[in-house]
Amino acid sequence: MTRFAEWLSQTYLSIVIQNHNSWVIPTIQSIHIVGIGVVVASVFMVDLRILGWAGMDQTLRQTTNRFGPWLTGGLCVLLATGGLMVVGEPVRELVTVSFWIKMFLVAVGTLVATVFQISLRKYEQDWEGTFSRRASIKCLALVTFLIWVAIIILGRLIAYDHVWGSWSPAHKS
Amino acid sequence: MDISTFLASLESSGIATGIRNSLYIFPLIESTHVFGLAMVFGTIAIIDLRLLGIASTRRSFRRMASDILKWTWVAFGVTAATGALMFITNAGVYYHNFFFRTKMLMLALAGINMLVFELTAARSIHRWDKAPSAPLIGRTTAVLSLVIWITIIFLGRWIGFTTTRATPVTPSEINFDNLFPGTSDGTTPATPPNDQR
Repeated sequence: MTRFAEWLSQTYLSIVIQNHNSWVIPTIQSIHIVGIGVVVASVFMVDLRILGWAGMDQTLRQTTNRFGPWLTGGLCVLLATGGLMVVGEPVRELVTVSFWIKMFLVAVGTLVATVFQISLRKYEQDWEGTFSRRASIKCLALVTFLIWVAIIILGRLIAYDHVWGSWSPAHKS
Repeated sequence: MDISTFLASLESSGIATGIRNSLYIFPLIESTHVFGLAMVFGTIAIIDLRLLGIASTRRSFRRMASDILKWTWVAFGVTAATGALMFITNAGVYYHNFFFRTKMLMLALAGINMLVFELTAARSIHRWDKAPSAPLIGRTTAVLSLVIWITIIFLGRWIGFTTTRATPVTPSEINFDNLFPGTSDGTTPATPPNDQR
């Protein structure tokens, strides 16, 4: 991975970003945080609706119709800006524990959101009726939100991979 | 007491010293700060887009505000508290940082903008509660709110790139490896980077 990171850091786009480091990297990071705000708030609103704590004047389907597209759009922005950060500083990103745990959780979070959307479309009656009243579904809503919270925290911890001690690959090299 | 004495007393306080001397506390505070501000911005954006008639246009504004804004305030509390904790670790440096000062000014503007909304558009809420968008003054404050909060996010990131983190006075005694006996490879932990990028 270190070798791949070093190769990536020699590519044209990476060098362009590195040469304008003083403003390009903070700009990309700031846009990334704006995207995080959109994503986490969208997940939050759908989860609150499942928990019955907000949006009870709306059906579950109306709630996902409102926030689903913003979640997808936000994730696309995060993927684009996140990708640019990896290209711009490959060693800093790829050679950390936090980055890889984060990527794993992003995959889990996205999978849960996708399965939920498909399931809601297929079993709409059940979701609006009995599903969202089940304790297990409410727990899942809470866990889903916590996954996104963990993703945000791990994202910031990429800058501080020393917190993982000897688990951090940066520590070994 | 002049300002530099005050800032120095913040920096030498027990809490500030404790945060500086730990390898873990500052990164965890900063991470929580990012989570909090993402929630603040995200929930405020939902309200602003409703005012502008861009999203949630068929919902009662009052209903949405009562569903969402309490969470915005909780998140704001978390963000302000973690922000204050970061500030006291290196108060002198942050206080004189241009981006920090501008960010504080923007936070004040966000507050004034919210007051303007409460004193104008919110007063006539019964007339537009179920309308797809707010009256002109409400839409204006919504645009300003989005611009101000996005600016605050950018300024916050710029503070991290233009300041250095305070160095610990004494090396940390606890490190991650001690928490999991047997996982350590016996070497000393890596030196933490001295910036907040």
